[in-house]
Amino acid sequence: MQSLQSRRARPYTITNNQENKLMKKYIIIFITILAFSITASACSGSRLSASGWPGLTTDQDNAYLAAGQHVYAVNLKNGTLRWKYPAEAQNNVTFFGAPALTDDGQLIITGYDSNVYSLNPANGEENWRYERAQDRFIAGALVTPKGIFAASADHNLYAISLEGGELWSPFETDEPIWAPPSTTEAYECIYLASMDHHIYAINIEDGALLWKTEDLGGPIVSKPIIADGTIFASTFANEVLAIDAEDHDVLWRFETQDWAWASPIPDGDQVYASDLSGTFYALDQETGDLAWQIQPGGRIVSASLVTGDKIYFGTDEGSLIVADKNGTIQRNQTVEGELYTSPAANEDLILVAPTGNENLLIAYDENGVKRWDFAPSD
Amino acid sequence: MWDAFITFMINVLLYIYNLVGQNFGLAIILFTILVRLIMYPLTARQVKSSKAMQDLQKSKKWQDIQKKYKDDREKLAQKQMEIYQEMGISPFGSCLPLLIQFPIIIGLYQAIIRALAVTPIQLVNLSKHINDGANLIPINSQFLWMELSEPERLQIFGVGVPILAILVVITSYIQTKMVSTSAPGDDGGQGAQMSKAMSLYMPFFMGYLALTFASGLALYFIATNLVTILQYVILGQANFKNLLPNLSSS
Repeated sequence: MQSLQSRRARPYTITNNQENKLMKKYIIIFITILAFSITASACSGSRLSASGWPGLTTDQDNAYLAAGQHVYAVNLKNGTLRWKYPAEAQNNVTFFGAPALTDDGQLIITGYDSNVYSLNPANGEENWRYERAQDRFIAGALVTPKGIFAASADHNLYAISLEGGELWSPFETDEPIWAPPSTTEAYECIYLASMDHHIYAINIEDGALLWKTEDLGGPIVSKPIIADGTIFASTFANEVLAIDAEDHDVLWRFETQDWAWASPIPDGDQVYASDLSGTFYALDQETGDLAWQIQPGGRIVSASLVTGDKIYFGTDEGSLIVADKNGTIQRNQTVEGELYTSPAANEDLILVAPTGNENLLIAYDENGVKRWDFAPSD
Repeated sequence: MWDAFITFMINVLLYIYNLVGQNFGLAIILFTILVRLIMYPLTARQVKSSKAMQDLQKSKKWQDIQKKYKDDREKLAQKQMEIYQEMGISPFGSCLPLLIQFPIIIGLYQAIIRALAVTPIQLVNLSKHINDGANLIPINSQFLWMELSEPERLQIFGVGVPILAILVVITSYIQTKMVSTSAPGDDGGQGAQMSKAMSLYMPFFMGYLALTFASGLALYFIATNLVTILQYVILGQANFKNLLPNLSSS
């Protein structure tokens, strides 16, 4: 009893050995925290980790979803898996660019492994792959009857024939290219936006530079959209711009509140744009004047979907916003995860591909009722 | 709170990056030096406290009371406290500064990794932290032969050699040995044993991290190790004898 009392009453003494132990304990705690910290941010620490959002394309019957280690073909009728590519996940091979369908029946996908792949959309079998790029493909490819055009983070635009050969030497810009290229219906010219602040017009036949814009003030990471001879683009310099597609003059600039990431979407006499402050803008297509703006909450990274009289866009807080063309929010639907991928429409379905949700694809009807969802079994 | 701290660290890092001509490797090195310089008073206090404790524990007076009161821990503690007060030494003086440094070092590491945004989600996340840095995007992550966002390998005769990971192991080993207070021959105490084990495993653990993760992290490890060694040299506490066992045993 006395011994117990004496033990309880024992004051804390620090000996050399104890201090050493204490010190070592702190160091071990520090190493543990450091290791945890490194593991927690592993997606940033290594290029091998997935760090993009799903790319989505549809045809009449299927949705094609590039979502990490696989590209999935999903039956639009019921959300069941038709096939996935590759059958077995491979380390260091991930896909996030929106798949693209060619007129001659190929599905073109781009990978973070620096390759462009041609698949058979019926069964997911690989036709060919193009392996010349030196860095990842962030965006999906542009497909035209004249060839396939894929822009890489290695600064180059690659022109690939429909058989997988090279059409012309890569076109190089000064910085990485994250935005998919675009073209007109006449397929005469490729419009390429780079993180070097410029938009380039490139001859589709031989890859020659036709013109490039002045420095637009900030990186461009989304696809330039062409409508009626005008190119609409968003920049990190907090601007949405309209550029003459013939002589590359800037027609107007609209100042946003934060980085403008998503492509502006022209519709009728308006252009719908957004920024990372979460503000959604309707601008006059001719003048760039603000018609209305809404800020439902969350950041807006993806371009909007305009179908019928409705506008759909997602936020990183997982809100699928449905607004009318006067800027009135009709529905604010919560989806688990972040909505970085633009919604897509197919007949009466609205498809969303959330990030951070076990369901990679969710189909709603136009009233917001879920019709099906798709979660891979692996 | 933590987020605000990381935001501050990222903005300082990017400020330095812009100042040195958008060279991220150089920015990491200078940022590490700057943070360690700011923490220098804490480091100095920690080292001095540690040295004072060591000197005290070697003193005759201390050893006498250890012997005298070895069976009466209460009395021993009381006497020890009296000596601490008399000598003006805080028994936690060497541990507290170390504890304060931890979050700063973790913040430094987080700032480096988050600023190396080379994919869309990383860039979306970075945009939350930077105030007015659109003109700095994309971050130029090339430094010498390295792509700082990727694990580093230098191709020598067709073989990828992880130069940075090797340098991390070497500098970590030197740093651990030089700042260690126990001499190589001292294998008596449990603390000394543990210290010996750590000086062996730590460099390899750090080397493994450098081998696997972004080389920007490895560069930070090397800069940290070198600055720590330099600080100990300046404070006159670098234990060169530990590096060369022959020297210490003689």
